[in-house]
Amino acid sequence: MTDDSGGAVDTEAATEPRAWGRWFGRPGRSLTRRLIWLASAWIVLALVLTGWALTNQYQETALRRLGNVLADTIDEVVLASNAQTDGTLAVSEVKDDRTLRALSGKYWAVAEPGPDGRLRILVRSPSLAGESLTIPDELPDRLAGARGAVISYNDPDGLRPGGEGPLGVPLRVAASMKQLPGRDAPVVFLAGIDRSNIDRDTQQFATFTWTALLILGLGLVIAVFLQVQIGLRPLYALRNEIADVRKGRAARIARSYPLEIQPLAEQVNRLLDHNQETVERQRTHVGNLAHALKTPLSVMLAEAGSAKGPLPDMVRRQTEVMKAQVDHHLRRARAAARAQMLGEITPIEPVLDEMAVMLERVFEDKGVVIDWRAPEDLAFRGERQDLQELLGNLLENACKWAKRRVRVSAGATGLGQMVVVVEDDGPGLPEEQREAALLRGARMDETTPGSGLGLSIVVELTRAYGGRISLADSELGGLRAVLELPSAEC
Amino acid sequence: MRVLLVEDDADLSRQLKGALSDAGYAVDHAADGEEAHFLGDTEPYDVIVLDLGLPKIDGVSVLERWRREGKTTPVLILTARGAWSDKVSGFDAGADDYLTKPFHTEELLARLRALLRRSAGIASSTLSCGGLRLDPRAARASVNGEPLRLTSLEYRLLHYLMMHQGRVISRTELVEHLYDQDFDRDSNTIEVFVGRLRKKIGPDRIETVRGLGYRLTPLPGESEAT
Repeated sequence: MTDDSGGAVDTEAATEPRAWGRWFGRPGRSLTRRLIWLASAWIVLALVLTGWALTNQYQETALRRLGNVLADTIDEVVLASNAQTDGTLAVSEVKDDRTLRALSGKYWAVAEPGPDGRLRILVRSPSLAGESLTIPDELPDRLAGARGAVISYNDPDGLRPGGEGPLGVPLRVAASMKQLPGRDAPVVFLAGIDRSNIDRDTQQFATFTWTALLILGLGLVIAVFLQVQIGLRPLYALRNEIADVRKGRAARIARSYPLEIQPLAEQVNRLLDHNQETVERQRTHVGNLAHALKTPLSVMLAEAGSAKGPLPDMVRRQTEVMKAQVDHHLRRARAAARAQMLGEITPIEPVLDEMAVMLERVFEDKGVVIDWRAPEDLAFRGERQDLQELLGNLLENACKWAKRRVRVSAGATGLGQMVVVVEDDGPGLPEEQREAALLRGARMDETTPGSGLGLSIVVELTRAYGGRISLADSELGGLRAVLELPSAEC
Repeated sequence: MRVLLVEDDADLSRQLKGALSDAGYAVDHAADGEEAHFLGDTEPYDVIVLDLGLPKIDGVSVLERWRREGKTTPVLILTARGAWSDKVSGFDAGADDYLTKPFHTEELLARLRALLRRSAGIASSTLSCGGLRLDPRAARASVNGEPLRLTSLEYRLLHYLMMHQGRVISRTELVEHLYDQDFDRDSNTIEVFVGRLRKKIGPDRIETVRGLGYRLTPLPGESEAT
């Protein structure tokens, strides 16, 4: 019992932090968390790789397109170049308009390696307007190593007339070393083009791509979250149902579940059945023990009762003690068996009916009338046998003491509680004896056998179910027993 | 008075047999369910003391067989378990009284005297209405041969309805005949009892005549003289 309430409190208190912890705590402890973290990590990894590949590919393509344009320009300049006999180089007119306008964004130049290893510009396009293309220091060596090939590079500083100025635009430059007919020294052809458009496009593409991927990623994580939540919902439902069974609000797992956890639900039900069987078996054992002991006790009681003298008296007294002991321990055993019971519900009306019919028959000589009332949908949250024990003993007691009338009324009193009132028109019980009757279940009147015993069973059972019993005066003149018990609707 | 004592414990049987003989009964003894059933079936006993825990056939089954075969001999059952569920199943099988072991012999003798007093002169004129039968002297009723388990208030209601079958009886009239002078009268209690009675005898035998009361009639197709 104490375990039970303690556990309930824990569960309630832990709800708040657990909601937070479920998503952000250590992933090992929660299925939900584990699923969400795994999926999220995979989604982020996949999206980052995708974004990187896409932007890279876009830039590569753009640069390749520029490279083609530059290669064409170089070819054109090569075709237009003539080595003069005096060792100089003449470039006849290049048709491309853009290379004619000053600082148009498209340039070319022809250079030759100087004695110091650096390139010296021989001819330049009109568009360069006297400026020079930036030539990295290591370029001549690279060109010499790959004669005839086109080497492209970025010129981040770009063309800055006079070294500084607003016209500094980044360039893409291609260079190629070629051998011209009629000239021994190799010549380096350079072509450059404004790269700022391409850079801007690439930048825009990257921004767009990363934004789209971020949104996609968030969307996917939300989808995973929902999927896990909805997917695991049957598990939560099962948990709640099991909690209901434990609290006695349900007898079995009743809902049907998805294929994966239906076997679990069935196993739980089987466990409940097994539990029930065990309790039944225990009951039977206890009953058998009772039978085995009580018949010999009857013999001893009868044998001693029919004889006179100190020995029979002693035997009779001791037999009564043994009988009380057997009863006491049998009740304890039954209560222990009961503690394992879960989720039984017993309608009140049929039990009251069978008890009334039976006891009126038993007390037919006295003409006792049992007038009972109970709502049809009222049920006791517990076992039928126990309800029979409770009502049977209370009613039997009432019939025993009643002159003619016994009145029983049962009703729900509030959430999950009910009350059964049993009254009789007998002599009643003085107030000072009521406490004792309940405390010890003492036998109050030796001439009416077993009267006290019945009450003690009622007291013990009521306590086991967390109910209460009290005695008072009845308006009928006799005793009024008020029994409060856990209830249910049926 | 002939009594059949069914008890498997030899010592207890010997004692009870002695006590019953001393009290003036002619006692036959059976130690198991089969023998008990045979004796009860063939000999005309006035009362039977039946232990429920018996070898071969248990006491409840023996009792059920007797009642199925139409034996009306009053039966007092002895139970060792003392559990109410055992007493209830004994009564459902047709027992008339119970005693929980261990008991005092005088208690048993007193109970037997009471049973015999009750059953004296049972054969009497019965009331009937279709499949319903009611024996006013034994205060027993049955429907289609099946004994009805009625509380005394239900029995009184049925008795009154059967005495005036075919006639519409008002709630006030029923209340007056249901309760003694000093009992509380509440006219909707009649509805409660009619409801319970209908559950036991079948829903259609008692007809509600709106605004007037109730009327007991045989079911259509049931002949009056069954």
